[in-house]
Order: sequence, then C-alpha cells, then structure tokens
Amino acid sequence: MSSISRSLGHVSPAGKVIIPLLVVVFVVAPILTVLVGAVIGPWLLDLLGSNLGIVRFLVAITGVLLFSIPAAFIIIYMELKVIAYMNLRVGPNRVGPAGAAHSVVAGLKVLSKEDFSPANADRFVFTWAPVLVFLTAVMTFLVIPFGPGYVDPATGERVGGLVGQDFNIGLLYLFAVGGMTVVGLLLAGWSSFNKYSLLGGLRSAAQMVSYEIPLTLSVVGLILLAGTMSLTEIAHQQEGWFTSWFVFRQPLGALIFFIAATAEANRTPFDLTEADSEIVAGFATEYSGMRFGFLFFAEYVNVFIVSALMVTLFFGSWNAPVNVNDILNQLHIAPITVDLDPGSLGVGLLLLVMAVPVALTLLFGLPFYLTRSRMPAWQAVVIGFVLFNVVAMGIAFLLAYIGLVWLAGVIWFFIKSFMFVFVFVWMRGTFPRVRIDHLMGFAWKWLLPAALLNLFLTATAIVVVKVLHP
Amino acid sequence: MTTFTDPIGQHASADDPRIMLDNQIGAFEAVPPYPPRTEREAEFYSLRDGEMFINMGPQHPSTHGVLRVVLKINGEQVVDLDPVLGYLHRGVEKLCETSDYHHVISQVDPLEYVSSLFNEWAPVMAFEKLLDVEVPRRAEYIRVLTGELLRISSHALFQGWMALDLGGLTPILYSFIERDEIVEMLAAITGQRMLFNYFRIGGVNGDLNHEFMSRLGDWMSRAAKQHEANIGLLNENEIFVRRMRGIGKVDKDTALRMAVTGPNLRASGVAYDVRRAHPYSVYPELDFDIPVRGRGPEGGDSLDRYLLRLDEVRESLRIIDQCLHAMPDGPIMARLPRLLRPRPGRAWAAVEAPRGLYGTYAISDGTDQPFRMKIHDPSFVNLQLVGMLMRGNLIADTMAVMASLDPVMGGIDK
Amino acid sequence: MDRTLRARLEKRFADRMSGPVRQRHDTTEIRIGAADLTEVMTALHDEPDLEFVLLADLAGVDTGDHMQVVYHLWSARTPDWLRVIADGLPRDNPRIATLTGLWPGAEWMERETYDMFGIIFEGNRDLRRIYMPPDYTSFPLRKDFYLPDDAARSPGGGVRHMERTHVPTGTPGRVARRTVKA
Repeated sequence: MSSISRSLGHVSPAGKVIIPLLVVVFVVAPILTVLVGAVIGPWLLDLLGSNLGIVRFLVAITGVLLFSIPAAFIIIYMELKVIAYMNLRVGPNRVGPAGAAHSVVAGLKVLSKEDFSPANADRFVFTWAPVLVFLTAVMTFLVIPFGPGYVDPATGERVGGLVGQDFNIGLLYLFAVGGMTVVGLLLAGWSSFNKYSLLGGLRSAAQMVSYEIPLTLSVVGLILLAGTMSLTEIAHQQEGWFTSWFVFRQPLGALIFFIAATAEANRTPFDLTEADSEIVAGFATEYSGMRFGFLFFAEYVNVFIVSALMVTLFFGSWNAPVNVNDILNQLHIAPITVDLDPGSLGVGLLLLVMAVPVALTLLFGLPFYLTRSRMPAWQAVVIGFVLFNVVAMGIAFLLAYIGLVWLAGVIWFFIKSFMFVFVFVWMRGTFPRVRIDHLMGFAWKWLLPAALLNLFLTATAIVVVKVLHP
Repeated sequence: MTTFTDPIGQHASADDPRIMLDNQIGAFEAVPPYPPRTEREAEFYSLRDGEMFINMGPQHPSTHGVLRVVLKINGEQVVDLDPVLGYLHRGVEKLCETSDYHHVISQVDPLEYVSSLFNEWAPVMAFEKLLDVEVPRRAEYIRVLTGELLRISSHALFQGWMALDLGGLTPILYSFIERDEIVEMLAAITGQRMLFNYFRIGGVNGDLNHEFMSRLGDWMSRAAKQHEANIGLLNENEIFVRRMRGIGKVDKDTALRMAVTGPNLRASGVAYDVRRAHPYSVYPELDFDIPVRGRGPEGGDSLDRYLLRLDEVRESLRIIDQCLHAMPDGPIMARLPRLLRPRPGRAWAAVEAPRGLYGTYAISDGTDQPFRMKIHDPSFVNLQLVGMLMRGNLIADTMAVMASLDPVMGGIDK
Repeated sequence: MDRTLRARLEKRFADRMSGPVRQRHDTTEIRIGAADLTEVMTALHDEPDLEFVLLADLAGVDTGDHMQVVYHLWSARTPDWLRVIADGLPRDNPRIATLTGLWPGAEWMERETYDMFGIIFEGNRDLRRIYMPPDYTSFPLRKDFYLPDDAARSPGGGVRHMERTHVPTGTPGRVARRTVKA
C-alpha cells in the first residue's frame, strides 16, 4: 500500500485525475455491472420494458442535451472561420487540423477559470441566470424532428421518428419555452450589479419581447394551412418534391419569421444586447468562466434552433428536394432498393471479408508505387489502405442512404440547417448594428402589420379555395 | 524656487481607487469625490430625476484611444457628456523645451500617430522660418507627395473605424489592407511604418528610391478603382446611412465659433482649407479643389463628414498624380550646420493635417533648444464638439458622432 | 507680409498696442496688455474690414519674468496670420479675460493653459485641470517647475527613489520619509 501511495505521489496533477478515472471505468464499473446485472438484471429489464415510453423519453432528452454541445462547438468554429475568410484573414488554424479543435479547447478553457462573482452581486441569481438561459435554449431541442419514422406495414401507421417527443402542440411549446429566455437575460443583467449589464439586460428584454409577436404571428398562417401545430406533421406534409415546401405557399411568413428569428437569437444586425463597441458585453459584462460559457453556448444553440425551425417549418425538414424513386417511377424503371443478404453467401462471406480489403489495398496502392519513383513500398500500402477505407466508407454510406430512410432524412436536415446557420454567420460578418429605436420601430411598425397581413391573406385564400372547390 | 499653492488643487484625485469606491452602495461611481470646482462641473454632476451616470472608458473598444467619457443618461437618451482627458499625456511640449531642434522631430511624431508626417511638418516649417532657411523644391514636392499619401491612408482608416464603431466587423480590415500598402511604400523611403521621423529642418531625410516608385506605381494603377470600391462599400447600406444621417448636425456659425478645422469644418459648409487659405510648400502650384458639404442652413451631419473625407481622397489622388509628373531634380535638403542656433524670435506655422489645422508656435531664445514649443492639435479642439452634439441623442450615437469627428487621442492628450 | 494689414491695425489699435506691429515671413504680430484683451478681440472678430473669424491657437508662454498668452487668428481679408500677444501677466497672479464669449471652442484651450501655467481665465465656466489629475499641485510648463519635488507630494508618492527621498522642507506630514542605508 505504501508503495502505491508513494508512486501516486509522483504523479502529475493531470495524472491524479486520470488514473483514478481509468481505474473506475475499467475495473470498478465492469465488476459492478456484472454484479448488479446478475442480481437485479431481469427485474430491471422488466421494469424498463413495461414503461417504454418513459424510458424513450429519458433517452431522448439525454441525447438531446448531449447533442447540443457539439452543435454549439461546430457553429462556433464555423463562425470564426467563415467571418475570418470574409475579413480576408485566416481565423483559427493552430489547434487541431485547420483549427478544428479550437472551440473544444475554448470550452475547456472556460471551464477552468476561477469561479467568482462581483462583490455586490446577488450570488444566487448571478449563478442561476445563465443556467436558465441555457436551459430554455436546450429545451427547445425536444420537439424538433431530425428524421422520419417508418410506416408500419401491418397497421399502415407512421411509427417512430427521430424526434425527442412529438407533441401535437409542438410549436406552442417552442414559443412558450423560447419566451423564458427573456427572464434569464433580465436576471443576468440585473444581478450583475453593473450599469452596463443593466442597460444590456433591459435592451435585450425590450428587443426579445417586441420580436416575439411577429415571430408567433408569422407562423399562424402556416398553422392554418397545415392544420396542425405538431412539427412532425408539418414535416410530413412537405414530402415529395421541393415545390411542396411551405416557403412557396407562405413566402411572406417565411421572410418575417427569418427576420424575427434573427432578432430573437440576438444576431447581427440585431445584436445590440452584446454590442461590443458600445457597452462592452452587455448583460454578460460581469460574467466569466463557465457562467459565461453557458451564456455563450446558449447563443449558438439558439442559432441552431432558429435555423432548424426555419428548415422544419418552411424548407421541408428532412425531405430531400427531389424524390429519386418518383422520377424512376415516371421513367418506368424499378426503384433503387438495397436488398442485401450477406448471410446467403455462407463461407464465401468469410473468404470475401478476408480477401477484399487486402486486394483493394494493394490495388489502390499499386498506381502510386508504380508512377512515383523512390516511394517505399510500405508508404504505397498505407496510401492504398487509406483509399480503400475512403471508398468502403463511401459505398457503405451510399447503401445506408438508400436503405435507411431515416439516415437520408437526418443528412438532409443537417445540410439544410447548416446552410441557414451559414446565412446567419454571413449576416454577422457583413451587417452593422441597428440602433435601439430603429429596432423597435421596425418590429412594431413594419413586421407586426406584415405578419397580420400575411395571416389575413392566408385565411382569405383558404376560405376562397373552400368555396370554389367544396 | 517658488512653490505655487493652488487653492483649487487640494482635492483628492478622481482616479484614486481608494476614494472612488462609494461606501454606501459599494460601487464605483463616476462622480468625483469632492465638491464641484467650476460652474460647468456643478451643472454636470448634479442629477435630476431619472438620470444616471455611465462611465465609458478609459479602456473601451470604441473611444479611439484612452479617453474617458462620463455620460449622464436618462434611460437610453444622453442628457449631457463630459470627456475626461489626460490618460495619454506625455508632456511633449515640456520635452521639446529640453531637446535639440533636430530631436524635436522625433518627440513630436507620436502625437497624431495615425498621420505622423504632418506632426513633423508644422514644427519643421516653424523652425525653417526661425532660421530663414529655404527648402529645395524637390524636398517640398516629396513632402507634399508623402503627406498626401498619408492623408489617404488616414482617411481609409477613418472609414474602417467608423464602420467598426457602428458594428460592422469587415470594413476595418479592408482599411488596414489599404493602409498597409501605403505604409509599406513609405517604409521604403523612411525606414519606418508608423512614426516616420522623415522630415528634417531644411528638407527630408532620404530621397525617393526604386522600391518606393515601383510600389507607388503599382498602387496608383489600382487606386482610382479601389477608391470607387471603397465608396460603394458602405454608401448603399441602409443601416449605415440611417445611423449617420441627421446625427450630429453642425452649422457654419457654430463650427467657426468652436474653432473647429479640417473636414469637420468643411462638412459644415465653410470652405476653409489651410492649403488654399494660407498656402505653404508647393500647394500654390498644384491644381486641386476643396470639397465642401453641408452648405444648407442646418449644416452638416455625420454622413456629410463621412462622405467629405471620401471626396478628399479623390483630391489627394489628383495631387499625387501632379506631384509625380512635376517632380523636379535637385537636392533634398538645404545645407545647414549641425548645431542649430536660430536668432531669438517667434514663428508660427500651420499645415492641413487629415484632422484639421495642425500648428506650431515656436519661440527661440538663441540657444540650441527651443524656448517654447506650443503645439495646436486639431483633434483637441474637435472633441469639444461631442459634448455639444450629443445632447438628446442615444448612447449608440455617442460612438457614431465621435467616430465621425475622427479624433486621435495621441494628439488630444499631447 | 501684408503692409495694408499693418496700416489697418496701427490705425485701429494705436492706443492699445504696447509695441510696434512686427511682421516677419507671413505673420503679423501685435502686443497688447492683458486688460485690453476683450475689446481688441471683439474688434478683430466683428469689424468688417478685419473679420478674424478663425481662432487657430491659444498658447501660454512663461518668459521667465512674466507670462504671456498668445493668440493666432486668421481672416479671409488678409493673407497673413495675425498673432496677438497679451503681455505682462504677473507670475504670482496671472489673470486674463476669457475668449469663450466670442469663441466657445476656446474653453478647452484655456483649460490647457491654466493646467500648464496657472493662468486664470476670468469668465471661463469650466476652468479645471484637463491633463493633470485634479489634485496636482503645480503647473508643469512653468520655468520653475521641478518634477521630483512635485512628485513626492502626489498620492502616487513618486516612482523613483530620488523622488521619495527628496522632500522639501516644510511639506506637511503625508509624505513617507525613507532613510537610505549607505
């Protein structure tokens, strides 16, 4: 024992954390799992099986929470790099390949800072306000559909779907939760005991409250057309070709939603709450360390949320723009399906698995070896192996895309969402800020009447169509 | 040695942190801890219902240097404004009194560090008047050429700075590209990128060389188109224009009474430019116009000041062109003794710096050090306008107005 | 050198000027007493044949035995600069009238002159220090200014060893006295 404690004494501070962690993960946890599984395993599985809904819900919210952090990291990195290239400079390029690990390291840095609060700040509120802001941002992830479910062949109903929880008042839930952000920002500004923060908090409260009304109203037209507030239903109604996307039926609504969502997410040109050339960092002036990290991440999660919403409501969600199988049907060609049955090969499968990688590695490496003099053989083999991996992954991906409908849906959803995130980042690099009175005037005098006009026109159109085609 | 007991100076310093912390509320308040010394201070530091003080600076991303501005606001509206200077005061005038006439040139460089050749030009002209020295024509042409190049560079930086203060992150980097090209050019002949130390009493330090001419030729071939692109960058942007139009109006009479000079004066309708009103160097031989904006009864606003500086860049390009064509041969420096001892006397010289009239009043007492060097800096006088213009505007406009006046704290604080 | 300007000035201000009108290069210079300042400046600003509308500079000068305030003006009517020297301010109580009635922009220039020399501009609404901190007890650009002496009395206490040890006699108690172990 004393030799163990002596050797532990020689370990570096990082080691003092990692070694116990390794011990827990690789030694204690398996032992515990085996013991617990053997003793209460069957009972536990029974319990889970009978409450599948709750289990699914818990897994869904954990997944959603865990997903939001990497999303924020990716968006932060994108923002830094894209704005840098727009500014004719390079952006982060040291940490990781082309600076990709920059945001992760920034997150770690923010975690490692000293935990303090200003002398006269309200400590409790100061700590929990950023949590509230982050919470409301992440809670909205619950209802966003990432991918389609499948149609149960027995009952003909839609089952599943890559969504946290499919409320049939999904949109209402979204706007309700999004409105709580105002409370969080106000609390953050007030509890900092700083005039700049107070100003920033008040400005942000005024801005967000003013822009929530056009935001909500612009979507009501869409609700009338779709007949439902459930986001998965809205996504399903945009199946088929891209002409069925709601943006073509509600262009004004989409535009108003986009502008109001920019203001809700506190992005340029509406970012006076964090106007760093006027009131330093607005309501976040006194925050540092992980509290600031929460506020910072909440903003980027918000950006992803509004992009995802834009995509879900108006741009087809997880639907591809063209339906390839439809085209093939028109041309009387059989639709592409993937019907693999590797088990039927029998022993041949084993030979295939052993032979194909080696053969393809050598095949891909051969041209390099032959055409480049002085390339050592092992280098050509390595290149061949890398290429084989790339090709194999590509083929596997293609098969997965064709075979698994939900994967195709998820990929399209992310492509479209990140395109909108790019638009938000683009706007940040290009536009200056509006002034507070211009901002309020714009919301109340232009966006609100426009949203009402949109609603009026949509309702009229629906009635007229019903009358003409009963 | 007499000790001057100043009854006014017995108060505690408003910057001493032990005193600034108000024990009752436990926060740093912008109010000084002593009773008001002057009428204006009393007027400013008394709060009415609903007003509060906000302290901007001295560390602030947008105050053009270390400037502290105390704003008295009522909600989002600024009721009054008090700039506090002195954070960059280096005692340049006192230092000049104990430096040789040649050494003064390097002392004076960091005043308006953005356009430092002009800081050297006025003292050098004043000393040449004291010494009755005639500057060779080639040196004069080189002075004008480099001066106008630096004027373009300074106005390019103004454009980027203005956009940055309004929230646009990108134009400042374009400004720095432009500035980088010009500054590299000047580094080829002066050896320095920023505080050039190039002018000498009686001429300039180094002649134009091949690298300078090739860079200049390169740049000139693109300059006109680049200028058009710069104009188009921000003029069409609705947000920019709306934030600048109608803000900070100065009319002709007010501008003259506030002793404002330079683009701020010309944007209020007064056609006063030292190069034409009181010509110096070889400006009488050059053909250029003085752009003027804001001729109406209300005068000029921030947008006029912004557009006027863009017009001036065009005129500077014309001047550079003419200088290049008319550059005479000859010496670049008059022959002067190493140790300069001018006759006792007084001399005043003023040049048109990018920010206004930059002047030097030099008194010589027959020794090799100036007896008194008074430097008149245009930004110092221009900054007084901010207090006057900001009444009734919003906080966000403080930055816009200050940026449109284009102050540089080095010159303001001397 | 504008001879007509010289003639006009001599005609108008003959009784105020305390010396001849000097002209050198492109500057005309007149000297007046401190008491005549307001009248002369108003005349220079308002009269239609003089019309000196632009105040280019306001400087204080310490000549060693007395102080001066020097003004530089420009008019569209003459190609020369005009320098007005208000001479003869006594060193122990330099006072002169303010120009802020004619040129409100002279306020800060007068503040600077007060801060550097101690010249009091009567009528200036805001005559407080502009560069130096408000508790500074001397005036830097005067010829009898001695830095270490002054620094020892400031709340910063002086930065260098010499500034802390050289304390003039008669300074009241707040200063830390250090003894050097030789």
